[in-house]
Amino acid sequence: METPGRLLRIGLFGSALAAVFALGAVAPTWLRAPADAAAPRPQPLPTPPPGGVMGFVVDSFVQPVIQGKDACPQGTALKLRDAYLATLPAEERAQLERKENEAQLTQRWHAYAFGPDNTNVCSQPDMFERPLLRTVQSKKAWGLDLDEGKTDDTCAHEAFTTPTGEQGIDNQEYRAMGCTLEWRGVDGIAGDNQTGMRQFMSSGEWTQVILLRGVDSLQNDDDVEVIYANTPDRPLADSKGQFLRGTTFTISDKAPRNRNVLHGRIKNGVLTTDPADIVLTQTWGQGGARDIRGNRTKWHYAKGRLRLAFQPDGSLRGVMGGYRPIFDVIVSPAIGGAGSAIVAGIDCAQNLATLRHYADGLKNPKTGKCEGVSAAQAITAIPAFVNDVAPARTAAR
Amino acid sequence: MMMNSMKRMTWGAAAVALSVVVSGCAASDAPKTAVVEQGEPALTRAMPGAQIVAMRRLTEAQYRNIIADVFGPDVVVAGRIEPIVRPVHEMIASGAAEASISPAGLDQFDAMARNIAAQVFGEQRRAQFVPCVPRDEKLADPACAAKVLTPLGRYLFRRPMSPAEQAFFVKLAGDGAGPTGSFHKGLELALAAMLTSPRFLYVIESAEPDPARPGELRLDAWSRAARLSFLLWNTTPGETLLTAAESGKLTDQAQLRTLAEAMVASPRFEQGVRAFFADMLLFEKFDELSKDPVIYPYFNQDVVQALPEQMLRTITDHLVARNGDYRDLFTTQRTFMTRSLGGLYQVPVARSAGWVPYEFAPGDDRAGLLGQAGFLALYSHSGRSSPTLRGRAVRELLMCEPVPNPPGNVNFTAVQETGNKAKPTARIRLLAHATDPSCSGCHKITDPIGLSLERFDGLGMARKTENAALIDASGEMDGKPFQGAIGLGKTMAASPSTTQCLSMRALSYATGRSGEDVEELVPALDRKFAAGGYGIRALFTQIATMPEAYRVVTKPLAAPAHVSMLTQ
Repeated sequence: METPGRLLRIGLFGSALAAVFALGAVAPTWLRAPADAAAPRPQPLPTPPPGGVMGFVVDSFVQPVIQGKDACPQGTALKLRDAYLATLPAEERAQLERKENEAQLTQRWHAYAFGPDNTNVCSQPDMFERPLLRTVQSKKAWGLDLDEGKTDDTCAHEAFTTPTGEQGIDNQEYRAMGCTLEWRGVDGIAGDNQTGMRQFMSSGEWTQVILLRGVDSLQNDDDVEVIYANTPDRPLADSKGQFLRGTTFTISDKAPRNRNVLHGRIKNGVLTTDPADIVLTQTWGQGGARDIRGNRTKWHYAKGRLRLAFQPDGSLRGVMGGYRPIFDVIVSPAIGGAGSAIVAGIDCAQNLATLRHYADGLKNPKTGKCEGVSAAQAITAIPAFVNDVAPARTAAR
Repeated sequence: MMMNSMKRMTWGAAAVALSVVVSGCAASDAPKTAVVEQGEPALTRAMPGAQIVAMRRLTEAQYRNIIADVFGPDVVVAGRIEPIVRPVHEMIASGAAEASISPAGLDQFDAMARNIAAQVFGEQRRAQFVPCVPRDEKLADPACAAKVLTPLGRYLFRRPMSPAEQAFFVKLAGDGAGPTGSFHKGLELALAAMLTSPRFLYVIESAEPDPARPGELRLDAWSRAARLSFLLWNTTPGETLLTAAESGKLTDQAQLRTLAEAMVASPRFEQGVRAFFADMLLFEKFDELSKDPVIYPYFNQDVVQALPEQMLRTITDHLVARNGDYRDLFTTQRTFMTRSLGGLYQVPVARSAGWVPYEFAPGDDRAGLLGQAGFLALYSHSGRSSPTLRGRAVRELLMCEPVPNPPGNVNFTAVQETGNKAKPTARIRLLAHATDPSCSGCHKITDPIGLSLERFDGLGMARKTENAALIDASGEMDGKPFQGAIGLGKTMAASPSTTQCLSMRALSYATGRSGEDVEELVPALDRKFAAGGYGIRALFTQIATMPEAYRVVTKPLAAPAHVSMLTQ
């Protein structure tokens, strides 16, 4: 049972987070070098260190939005205020949009965010019937071919092609969410979520590390162990906020301990891991359990895989792909609750409906319906020292 | 109302202390102190028969250590202390013998003293320091106040209080109790006055006739106790030393040695070694260390705080924990790291917080104290390295070879143009600069040393190139060529000047005399340092027990420029 005070705190914090997403204006780093494994690299790659152990800290983890008018020709998805206005007859809409009626309009679209028994579109998105969002119309997206053409455990979907021509790209999360202001940005050139994600990483609540073992060559190696994990250590940054290379992180040995052990291979300077469940955790803020700070959310990528290209400067650049449970995609505004709706204008119910519509993975064998969407994150990672902490030995392990 | 009364009384106490204007002097000089009494008994009357031969102001570290030792580490010392000015090419310990206290500085001492006194006699702690029950908590109780203040005075003044002093501070406690209506507030006032007294703020060295050298003076037992304690532990003498002073053990050579050996064997000796090296290596400069964060992205406050600590940990680990040879300090591979330093050094650090031991690989150019980022960053400019500053620091601080300042009209353009592609490295730029005959003389002394450290930038990060040109780290010192920091460290270790300089610095630190004043004692001391395997314990034990260090050397006074008051 949520207290009003708790709801208010959650709402305000969620709104603040949404505002963080909305204010971003920094060009995403992954755009500066597309996550295309096949792109030629003019400079030679460095030699792996003796022992073949290489550590990295992820310094960028963002949704790979392709900007351009062809993606969302009708404009970005409507915010809650405009979505409410869109439900009204033209005459009534025009009247409400007059300046003198601003207070009345605000009251009415705020009310549109709530349902019976003080429910709201973000805390209880299942309880609201909403139309679908405007979705990405272009054929291009970054991501990975997750189903490799197989259809046995997926649902019907239209695949994308990367800007570099790679076909069969599965990224229905981008199709569903790629026209929202949070993803696309207000100016059409920046992905707003990047700012928010970067803040989470800078604050140490979302630090990810990658540890490679058994690397004999950065060009070709059939057998590489990849540990992709969270660490509670906060990255050190320079005066511009750029993470510093060569600092040390220790993989968390406390619950929730997300240490994904993957197997990968390097081909032509590109590391690709075999499909596996990848789970990462984000701890919100640094507070306790009584408000949103200290809450944890999971990033779960079923059949997840990494495809990362080694760069001449020692960094990694590429993509993580996998199928996400639908609700995971909107968990951030859902935690924000009513605040996400009435302050940031996010209609979680509409988001959820759209994601369900485009769901293409995690097929429920009983219902035959898909409960997950294919998704991708653009990743860059810089060299770091990573202390691995092996799982604790128990009687059963 | 009570607070106002208390404040007035405390300020009155400060005024008493202020009236006792003091100016320190080293043991090598005849007294130049002038004291006038307006309440607190004059020093000469308080110490009948004693001749005051030196007064050395407490450093901030000493002040803090004393408060922690006398009242407990949980008593907060809030505020900063007016720094002691370092004489050119000398130790702060020598400066302490010349240090006065400005009115603003006394304000700081007074504020800190009042704060400390309030903590000591506050309700939480007073039971630890008040062994008696006052007849009435709202009134003065001279007998009880005497029981409280007499032992505290012994620790704070480093000798028993004279009857006159005791009477003065007990009366002060009574005077404070009246207007405030609180016996304990009165004690606060008296303690605050003790903490602002020159008897506390200055280590007053007094002398007595030397029976072995008729007509000459030597430090008396109380001064010896203070000398030992501040030299070896950087704090006030404890019960053992005060008792030893009382019983005459400190003027007995054998018993003095026994005590000194016990003190250097104590874990507290590390505190003394830290204080000595912080003084010798000019660590006060870390307080003003700044770097351009655009040029040096790894520079931040965590790093600034860690740099001197890393050097001190390396020094004390090598010299104290491992009882190592001082010369090996310039080649040791062992040090300590924090996470923030790990980034600067580009090495892994096992723990997320705190310090962890770290050992560089054999052959790593990081070897030795001079390869540490603290030294390299301190002796660089804010935006570039400086072979000249580094070379000068080696010469002056570690080899005791003063280098003259540059003339005022030098054109530094050639060395400052770090982006000049035609002169990509510091070596090339300095070569161009040093063609000026007025510069080349000194640069020949400093630059060949500093150029060997050029593979470390202005923050001490390793680099191989500058402006895409490979850096040549060859160096030379006194005709001996070498390569890199490790080569410099080996050359330093082999130079007799290195150990002689440490001997001189330590002797100067112990006595408060200038390097020049102790120079004649250095060769013999260095021989004993060598005989002790160049161990720091052997050196400090030797200094703590050598009779020459306790002798009062008199030399004719220069005519004083100004004498403000007269001694009674």
